[in-house]
Amino acid sequence: MRRPRVVGLVVLGVAVLVAGLPLLRGPIELPVTQHHLLHAALLVGAALAGVLCGRRDALRRASPAWIVLAMIAPILAMLLMWPSAYSFFEQHPAGHAFEHVGIVACGFLAGFAGERFAAGVGWATGGSAVLMALLAAFGFGVAPPTAVPIAAVAEPSLQPGASGRRNTGASSPAQPSHGAMIYATNCAVCHGTAGEGVSGPSLKDERTRKNLRQTIEWIENPAPPMPKFYPAVLTAADVRAVATYVQTL
Amino acid sequence: MKPLSVTLPAIGLRVMWTYIATGLAIFLLMLLVGISMRGSQAGWWTIEPGTFYSLLSLHGIGMLTAMVVAGLGTLWYLVSRETGLDARVAYLAYAFFVAGVACVIVSIVPGHYGALWSMLYPLPFTGTYWPTWATGAWLVGTALVMLGFMIWCGQILGALLARYGGLGGVLAVDYVLHNRAFAKLDHEPPPPQIFAAAITAIDGLIAGTAGLTVGVALIVRWLDPTVAIDPLWAKNLTYLFGHTFANLTMYMAVAGIYVGLPICTRRAYHTSVPLVLAWWGTLLFVIIAYFHHLYMDFVQAESLKLVGELASFLAAIPVVVITVYGAVLLVHRSGMRWTLGSMFLFTGLIGWVVGGAAAVLDSTIPFNVDLHNTLWVPAHFHTYLLEGVVLFTLGWVFVNLEQRAGASSGALIRWLAGLGVFGGGALFVLGFYIAGAAGVPRRYAVEPPPGPYLAGIATVGAILVLVGLLVVAYEALRLARLPRSEVAP
Repeated sequence: MRRPRVVGLVVLGVAVLVAGLPLLRGPIELPVTQHHLLHAALLVGAALAGVLCGRRDALRRASPAWIVLAMIAPILAMLLMWPSAYSFFEQHPAGHAFEHVGIVACGFLAGFAGERFAAGVGWATGGSAVLMALLAAFGFGVAPPTAVPIAAVAEPSLQPGASGRRNTGASSPAQPSHGAMIYATNCAVCHGTAGEGVSGPSLKDERTRKNLRQTIEWIENPAPPMPKFYPAVLTAADVRAVATYVQTL
Repeated sequence: MKPLSVTLPAIGLRVMWTYIATGLAIFLLMLLVGISMRGSQAGWWTIEPGTFYSLLSLHGIGMLTAMVVAGLGTLWYLVSRETGLDARVAYLAYAFFVAGVACVIVSIVPGHYGALWSMLYPLPFTGTYWPTWATGAWLVGTALVMLGFMIWCGQILGALLARYGGLGGVLAVDYVLHNRAFAKLDHEPPPPQIFAAAITAIDGLIAGTAGLTVGVALIVRWLDPTVAIDPLWAKNLTYLFGHTFANLTMYMAVAGIYVGLPICTRRAYHTSVPLVLAWWGTLLFVIIAYFHHLYMDFVQAESLKLVGELASFLAAIPVVVITVYGAVLLVHRSGMRWTLGSMFLFTGLIGWVVGGAAAVLDSTIPFNVDLHNTLWVPAHFHTYLLEGVVLFTLGWVFVNLEQRAGASSGALIRWLAGLGVFGGGALFVLGFYIAGAAGVPRRYAVEPPPGPYLAGIATVGAILVLVGLLVVAYEALRLARLPRSEVAP
């Protein structure tokens, strides 16, 4: 029982040292995907260390608190991977190293607490923490090209805790028109940010197929599979604005 | 391998009844919500579209949670008969479920959240008509439900690993690969219901991890609007969790067949190599079957669509065929009496087969293009849940009540309950199927013709289900109040 624990502590020590790398390298600018993958690597070591240190006599009854901790730890690790451009942790080496140590602590806790709860469960809960980081690498903080303009015109008033600094921080070009904002928010997902068509048809040169009045009528009473936004989501003024915008595509 | 210890039956039963009673109570409430929506689509009364989508959100997550909670209770009890389980963990998981449901209700009732659990990013953040705190309450509520589910999965996995000496023992690897040597050593593979529990725990942990990944990402996006999220990634993870979660309800409930039907027929349901292989198929493929929800997403890789089609077949067909075949052989010439318990268990098999066949049809790419955005999809999952999972759950409840009381129900009650729940349910799903085949779109508060007419038929069916369930509830209470008997019914 002692040898796995020693190996586990060594692995944990290595993981903590790697977590402190930003202290040596200064500010590290990495794409979000690579950053998450490095977090996943940290979590592999931390979770393994937790499992090795957490092994216990299977016959003893464990406290239910262990399983709760084991399940919550991966979630805390995910929160520490918060990919904000304004995060203090991202910009200051000490903060960044602190964040990494937190991720290592969560990974260790996931494996350790799971294993303390029942033999074998630590592998599952530690694996869960690693899997979360791996999955996060492909979408958490990662925007596809088409999503950028949508983010740029997101409605600030709709977001909780939205400070001017955060929202104006997005790469907004010129101030878009009301119709363009509605289009980006409600239509671009299917019709493309420039009306090029995605899952929905292209709206390029829509003015050659429908005039303004027909466009308004279509938006107000669309045929499936196009969703009906009026009047639940869009007002009559909104519909007119977005129809006017569509006429310019 | 002998069990280390087993949980006291009274404790196991208390946990089971707590879970099942909660699940069925939520189910009844959600049925009322469902009737109100179908009646509105039929034009019998009017529900404003915003309210409709809020009710639809509540109905969807509520029904799934109800069935999961009931199924988890059944499985917890069945596993507790094989090995020791700490009831405190079960109640802790239960507390997370209750807290999650409370948050969801808050997000809907005062908050009017209306983007469903299967929302596609940038929903539920843009184009919304509800306050942002409601979105937060919804996201936190669903995360709590997932957390409760994962705690349950962790406990069951740990108990099974200890009981059967590791994952190989739980999944009967030696029994399948070295069958003769296994038999010579006089070893016994785990009973069939243990496979249902193991697959639920393992796939539940994987799906829960995916669900919490996207759930936490959405909570972060809610708190910090500058955080980007890839919509395709979000959709993949949402359905990885949601589709698996919904499918697992059946695999939980089917444990009632493996234990309940043998009680009714006085025959044993043995573990066999084909049964184990079928469950292996489910274990591997149910996680990736969800790709059939993304056939129409052109940015999704084509290869994944083919994987999704194959996985949909392999996850569902083998285990359905082998379980139903085994069940029919069990009943054949057994002299089984048709009590409410045996009747619900057996008719549940019909719902499982029909709902499963409709699902397989929808997961076949050429059909999916025509069916997936129509009411065919709710048709299949309502069959699967109402005529499958619910009937299995009711069957299991009544097998237990009948066994405990040493009595069964009269013919009139059986007819009323059967016609109401099964017959009404059949009429209800028929309205969905015909509308789906006619191309009526799903998730529409106001449906184009022939939607309203068919919604009227479906509403009649749903009301019959409600009446049948009231009869069932009355009968369950009557049996529960009878003194305990040692004589089998």
